[in-house]
Amino acid sequence: MADVHPAAGGGISGSATVDRPDRVPTVALIGPPNSGKTTLFNRLTGLRQKVANYPGVTVEKHVGQVEFRGGASIDLVDLPGVHGFSARTLDERVTRDVLEGRVDDLPAPDALVLIVDCTRLENQLMLVEPVLDLELPTLLVLNMWDEFEERGGKVDDALLAKRLGVRIVKTNARAGIGVEGVQGFLEEVEVRDRGMPPPVRSLTNVPRGVPLPMVDAFKARRRRVREVVDNADFVQPGPSGSSERLDSIFLHRVWGPLSFLAVVILVFQSIFTWAIPLMDGVEFLIVTSGEWLVATMPESWFRSLLIDGVWAGVGSVVVFLPQILILFLFLGVLEDSGYMARAAVIADRLMYRVGLQGRAFLPLLSGYACAVPAILAARTVDDERDRLATIFVTPFMTCSARLPVYALLIAAFIPARPLGLRAAVLLGLYALGIVAAIGTAFLLKRTLLRAEPTSFVMELPPYRVPSLRSLGLRLLDRSKIFLKRAGKVIFGVTIVLWVLTQFPRTDQGPPLIEDSALGAMGQFIEPAIAPLGFDWRIGIGLVTSLAAREVIVGTLGTIYGVENASDDSIVLQDALQRSLTPAAAIGLLVFFAFALQCMSTVAVMRRETAGWKWPILQFGYMLFLAYGGAFIAVRVFAFL
Amino acid sequence: MDRTVPPTTQAAATEAPVEDLRLGDVAMNQTVELVRIDLPPEQAEPLLERGVLPGCRICPVRLSPSGDPIVSVDGSLLALRRETANCLCVRILSELQDES
Repeated sequence: MADVHPAAGGGISGSATVDRPDRVPTVALIGPPNSGKTTLFNRLTGLRQKVANYPGVTVEKHVGQVEFRGGASIDLVDLPGVHGFSARTLDERVTRDVLEGRVDDLPAPDALVLIVDCTRLENQLMLVEPVLDLELPTLLVLNMWDEFEERGGKVDDALLAKRLGVRIVKTNARAGIGVEGVQGFLEEVEVRDRGMPPPVRSLTNVPRGVPLPMVDAFKARRRRVREVVDNADFVQPGPSGSSERLDSIFLHRVWGPLSFLAVVILVFQSIFTWAIPLMDGVEFLIVTSGEWLVATMPESWFRSLLIDGVWAGVGSVVVFLPQILILFLFLGVLEDSGYMARAAVIADRLMYRVGLQGRAFLPLLSGYACAVPAILAARTVDDERDRLATIFVTPFMTCSARLPVYALLIAAFIPARPLGLRAAVLLGLYALGIVAAIGTAFLLKRTLLRAEPTSFVMELPPYRVPSLRSLGLRLLDRSKIFLKRAGKVIFGVTIVLWVLTQFPRTDQGPPLIEDSALGAMGQFIEPAIAPLGFDWRIGIGLVTSLAAREVIVGTLGTIYGVENASDDSIVLQDALQRSLTPAAAIGLLVFFAFALQCMSTVAVMRRETAGWKWPILQFGYMLFLAYGGAFIAVRVFAFL
Repeated sequence: MDRTVPPTTQAAATEAPVEDLRLGDVAMNQTVELVRIDLPPEQAEPLLERGVLPGCRICPVRLSPSGDPIVSVDGSLLALRRETANCLCVRILSELQDES
């Protein structure tokens, strides 16, 4: 405790309160999945929250500020929903580490808020004991109290509090009822711990010696929970009538799979049809603002960099924002309403047959928007082998970054007639991804990830109306994350690319593209891709699209010297037709269906699998499929 | 090696069940008591965490479209695979015990 604060000049021992006047206490929010944890978190912190990743893993870390009258505040950490602390899943491991103060840039919590869905009280109280063993001030939040009472549930919360030795607050987080009780608890923590040194555990390098109780204690723990609730006059609420009625449709032998199909079709329809006007709107904004910049700035190399490089490059990615937000809106609604668990149950048999499991459904569906959040979503797959298999096949799902590439090539090479041919080719490319994913999962489960079939258990939470507030905040989060990525990666690539086209300088200024540094790069790799019918220009596109697939569109635009390159540019299509045969174009489509042209995916895989083995294997495997597939496609279609 | 560890999560070792009734064979809406989980510990753990413990009462309430059981345990609804349900040894509670 000696090195608390360099600015503290007093040197009076025991003056920790004076030493750290600025230390803000941290409170961790924990609870089982679907207990309303995030809803409560959003209620308490509103827009004052940050999303980041825990060091070393990509489990998202939500930290928000709860402010009180007089300007004081505490930091509230929203931990992943867990059923226990076994460290079997990444979520559980992270939760444990945070609670025990072992996460580098996060102080050990000063107090805990444990939230449970009291309609499933007995079960959820299983978490209480290990949490209390941490001996931190703890508030137990009995959430969904209204529903609990409505369904005839009873419990004497004063007795329960006494038996457990914690404070209890009854809430309905979605309606904001009872939240002030939680706020009161947090304020007390703030007053008590403001300026106090953080709990000792985070100060010393504690060995992993404060383990939370493990599996063997379950039965004993269960008995104690029962004793506690029995003594608190607990009456189990009756089954939820509305949930049962909905399940009799959504899990019906016939209507179940049909509604499942309808949901999947609805999601796709919304991404590919309803998102288009919005995307057109965003594109219009980017183009007009770019034109406005051209008009206002004097002609210079800087304008060229800004407009042709940054504006076109970043713009080509920002265009996808509406699509991604719509997908996340749907995923959010499906998850918060409780339907996603049912979908997982319906998908489980099918997934099981190819070597995955029902929980893989959500990540794979997300993969159609973007593999990065999809790979993160695979954390909910609780079997480690299943999780790796899910991560491995996710990049085969046709993500939205492939769309502009597909759109450009299809428009340039596939005739508009007969009607429907273009759509059929697009569908074929989607099917190609699915077939590759199934084949790969099948292969993996018989080789690298061979295992005895595992057990499967999935909790089906009661159906609930999603909270608009939570959905809105989630979309805001997603936009920030997406734009940050677009900002960093695409911005960087476009600048480097632009610079490479400007050198070596000639007397007249920038060199011809084939004489530039970029052109030299393309010519260097040309021999490797010549068998596929690709020339050096496509080669450069393949290299730059390693950063992100859609970059190839902007790159080809730059290379062909086309002004205002965009995916619907007729001029770019003409230029492409001159340098690619139709067969080679099909080859290029197949290449993009398979290749892992996305550094963000590689990076997220490295973190989620804790090493380079899987991402390297994946990159090599997908490149092999891409090259082989393109090679075959070019040969086959050359004869047609 | 931990091969020596018995591969099942045992209930109270006193009463070995004579009949070998599995959860997968239990009729709809028939409440039963879990006796034993015939699964290796790491596979039993997710069940344990969700309240599927020897001694608990389980009631199949529905079949999923693929014919897998959905059961109610202490007010929670759990979906299992047939294969998993067939690893859960249960015994039928008599009317009298059910009352208590």
